[in-house]
Amino acid sequence: MSAAADGSGPTTKATVSDSTDSSTLKDQQKPAAALEEDDEFEDFPVDDWAPEDSEVPPGSEGGTTHLWEESWDDDDTSEDFSKQLKEELAKVKGQK
Amino acid sequence: MEVLFRDFQSANSEQSGPGLAATISPIAPPNYLNRLDAIYKDSNVATISRDVAFGLTKSAHAAIQYPNPEIDTWTEIYSAYWYAVGAILAAEHAEQNASQSDWLRVYMAWKDLSNAIIKAYSSGVLENWTLPVLYMAGKHLRTFAIKADASAGSNGNAIYNSGDLQEDIAGDFDRNKNLEDAARVINRMFTLCISDRAPLEESRKWGLYYMANLQFKTYFKLNSISLCKNVLRAISAGTTDMPNLSVFPKSHIVTFKYYVGVIKFLEEDYAAAEENLLSALRMCHRSATRNVELILAYLVPTRLLTSQLLPSPELLSPYPRLAHLFTPLVYAIRSGSLSDFDSALTEGEPEFVKRRIYLTLERGRDICLRNLLRKVYLASGSDEEGKRRTRIRVDEFGTAIRLGERGVDGESLENDEVECLVANMIYKNLIKGYISRAHGMVVLSKTGAFPGTGI
Repeated sequence: MSAAADGSGPTTKATVSDSTDSSTLKDQQKPAAALEEDDEFEDFPVDDWAPEDSEVPPGSEGGTTHLWEESWDDDDTSEDFSKQLKEELAKVKGQK
Repeated sequence: MEVLFRDFQSANSEQSGPGLAATISPIAPPNYLNRLDAIYKDSNVATISRDVAFGLTKSAHAAIQYPNPEIDTWTEIYSAYWYAVGAILAAEHAEQNASQSDWLRVYMAWKDLSNAIIKAYSSGVLENWTLPVLYMAGKHLRTFAIKADASAGSNGNAIYNSGDLQEDIAGDFDRNKNLEDAARVINRMFTLCISDRAPLEESRKWGLYYMANLQFKTYFKLNSISLCKNVLRAISAGTTDMPNLSVFPKSHIVTFKYYVGVIKFLEEDYAAAEENLLSALRMCHRSATRNVELILAYLVPTRLLTSQLLPSPELLSPYPRLAHLFTPLVYAIRSGSLSDFDSALTEGEPEFVKRRIYLTLERGRDICLRNLLRKVYLASGSDEEGKRRTRIRVDEFGTAIRLGERGVDGESLENDEVECLVANMIYKNLIKGYISRAHGMVVLSKTGAFPGTGI
């Protein structure tokens, strides 16, 4: 047996494939319970790809700004912590 | 062995680099699982050179000249490959029978193959379209070295190399012996690419980033990240006569940018880290979930410091592990709850430390404190003219910090402590204003008291 078809061969990380079907890649990468041991970047199954297959295809950069938010929050009046803060501040102010 | 020569010929006639690289793959293709066995059992130690030379000549063009350097070179390469295949089959066989696999032998044989290939390039026999052959050699050299080190560790009483950051310095002197050895060979491959002076269209410079990435991976594994700087220096020294980054395959560039981003991150050059990680993220193949996840693991702490931006739930939702790690911190920062921030940081500490992002995230506490003080300012009401009060009593801030840090029943802070924290905020340009100690007041700037936050 020369094995290795199922990835248990000498180099499990090696993906020798000229397949352009990227759905198989997704299937292999089911999230495990915790982040894996090291932060080694994985080999891509294909060498190069069309710009449209990128995480942010050209021309759609504007559509990604909502993925990052400002670090403060103005509209949280209903939040417990904010309420508590207001009560406490009112107390200090009342002291003088 | 027929299959080897047939594939060799067809890859050559099509000038297909990946096709040629596949001929020396240590892994059998799914459509021919017995490829390695078939190649190995077709020859023996006594006749291998002759068999290969004969096979190559027979399948080559009829009008071949002798002596032929190409035939000689490939005879050497395929003979070395044949030995490596024998070692691989033996190791795999042993693994299946749960006995001791000799990965060191595999590594040594693969190293011979790698050296034969390096020689073929430096003597100019192999052209640049064959570069995937060099990639194939380098990539597996590294994985076999790691396997050899691991089996040496589990074999004797040395510590098993799990890639862990906590190392027993005394016990693991030789722990990465083979990987260190492989690093030197890979470095020669890198030099082979970067120092090629041939005109661009036939230059090996096209292999430069692939090899640089392989070096990064190796140095990270060896925990000698500082060595990556030599690679970067070599590249930046040669940029003038190098093809533009955008014309390289995206897999090379995304990987390169990821590693440069992480290196810059670790050097605390966050602006450069952000730039590299962002472009890696944009260009990354969208099905490569694991790689996007790795990029984000560094980009989130980076952007918190550079642009004070937090990831939205939408950004993290496809990556449950990241969402699990970062969401509590994100909520704590936004609400200005210092105690939630502290407990979220403690909670995630083992993971954060392992990713080397703990110290950077810790600096996010400033942003959390800024948001808390900003809330005090917003809640402080307005003066007679309807303008927001810009004089805030130090003890108002003190109350907020006590609440944020220690809860309702927490111990009060001394005014000195509060002043110290506020002074720090002012120094870091997170607050604009000054402290009037005589009046026990913080006097905030009438415009942009909390720079960049819209008030």
